[in-house]
Amino acid sequence: MANTINLTLKVWRQKSSDSPGAFEIYQAHDIDTDLSFLEMLDVVNINLEKNGKEPIAFDHDCREGICGCCGAMINGQAHGPEHGTTLCQLHVRKFRDGDTLVIEPWRSRAFPVVRDLIVDRSAFDRIIQAGGYVTVRTGSAPEAHSLPVPKIDADEAFDSAACIGCGACVAACPNASAVLFVGAKISHLALLPQGRVERERRARAMVERMDLEGFGNCSNHYECEAACPKEISVRNIARLNREFFRAFVKG
Amino acid sequence: MSSESRCALRSSILRKQIVAVTGLILTGFLAGHLAGNFLIFLGPEAFNGYSEKLHAIPELLWLVRLGLIAAFLIHVITTILLTLENRQARGERYAVNGSKSEESLKFAKKTMIYTGLLVLFFLVLHLSDFTLSDKEGPASMIAAGEGNPPRNLGLYGLVWNSFLEPWRAGVYIAVMLVLGLHLSHGIQSLCQTLGFYRNDLVPGIRKLSLVLGLLAAIGFSSVPLFINIVRTPPL
Ligand code: FES
Repeated sequence: MANTINLTLKVWRQKSSDSPGAFEIYQAHDIDTDLSFLEMLDVVNINLEKNGKEPIAFDHDCREGICGCCGAMINGQAHGPEHGTTLCQLHVRKFRDGDTLVIEPWRSRAFPVVRDLIVDRSAFDRIIQAGGYVTVRTGSAPEAHSLPVPKIDADEAFDSAACIGCGACVAACPNASAVLFVGAKISHLALLPQGRVERERRARAMVERMDLEGFGNCSNHYECEAACPKEISVRNIARLNREFFRAFVKG
Repeated sequence: MSSESRCALRSSILRKQIVAVTGLILTGFLAGHLAGNFLIFLGPEAFNGYSEKLHAIPELLWLVRLGLIAAFLIHVITTILLTLENRQARGERYAVNGSKSEESLKFAKKTMIYTGLLVLFFLVLHLSDFTLSDKEGPASMIAAGEGNPPRNLGLYGLVWNSFLEPWRAGVYIAVMLVLGLHLSHGIQSLCQTLGFYRNDLVPGIRKLSLVLGLLAAIGFSSVPLFINIVRTPPL
């Protein structure tokens, strides 16, 4: 027999970006504790639909913690209480019978709410477009040995590249700053020889875009690192700071 | 100034780095100030002599003072601007504010702007107490032991007499604890903002920041505390 629990959900409902939102209270009865958080919402939505009500809108795609689509604040914690876990990988067994969960969308001026728990994160895409790429000559793949990369740098770049762009860092930051995201993107390129070519231009362009989008300024609270489902380190922010300063000095 | 660097001055990161550099300058000043304070324990000659040496070349003194005033103003104004921007960046507030960080000393981080502003207000009191006040007047007179006529002990006497008032000593000690709190986050924060990310150094820097904050609080508090305990100067 599966274990089941009852939860009270206080969910942010908002029809569109320009209509006002409010919390609605739903009872989630007999929820199998082996369900993921999103599956629990699916169950709630099926019941809502049965009763002729509008289901709760939330973003999701892979449901295996790799795409970065999902995410919401559960009682003020981005992606819920588990460390290094996306909302889709969070399980109902992490909660206790009778718990009340306040579920809110990411809050940032740069991430307007589209509907309910869905926010528009295209500000991240625009930051990437501004400089989060390397210019390479396409054609046949070059011989891997022709471009040696120290193992330490490769590992570090890989850790930074683990960022899935979910936006939890912005949501968790008291200042709604995006520097962990930008730091990760800058780092994984700046650490590798292919990324060094456009290094200064990239740092300038991405930071400029980040500021333009209306994200806040980092004041080193490190809430982002704690909330990141991929556990991206704040060292990436320090590296971003250094990369940006370097670009500033080089003019 | 090229248009590009003017634009950079509006950038989030560069302004943070300006706060960090001015913070570093002010921290350096505090270290020097604290070292000077400790001369009180060596008696009036050492302490007043040090003060006189500082005032020996007025032009140099004012150069340093202007530099410090500039650093202070830039530090304060930039942080206020950044804080106001940060408030706006959230947009709609969260109904529930939570955290996933397991760090125990979040208080210092959250209160940086308030601890900073408190130190700013304290500075007004502090400058009027000592820097701008008459160092050779009646406030500097100290009776050294029973029966001896009061002597003018200059800045030493002024500091001693001022801290004999328990309320003033209390206010100073309280503000120094706040200053210590500010530094405990500030020092590691400026290292991060200036781009130190070496794995082997960062944990040490964070601990050092805490220790230095604590040492500053204890160090600065030691003078009013000592004066209130001893009451009569050991001349
Ligand atoms: S749905 Fe893909 S990471 Fe959660």
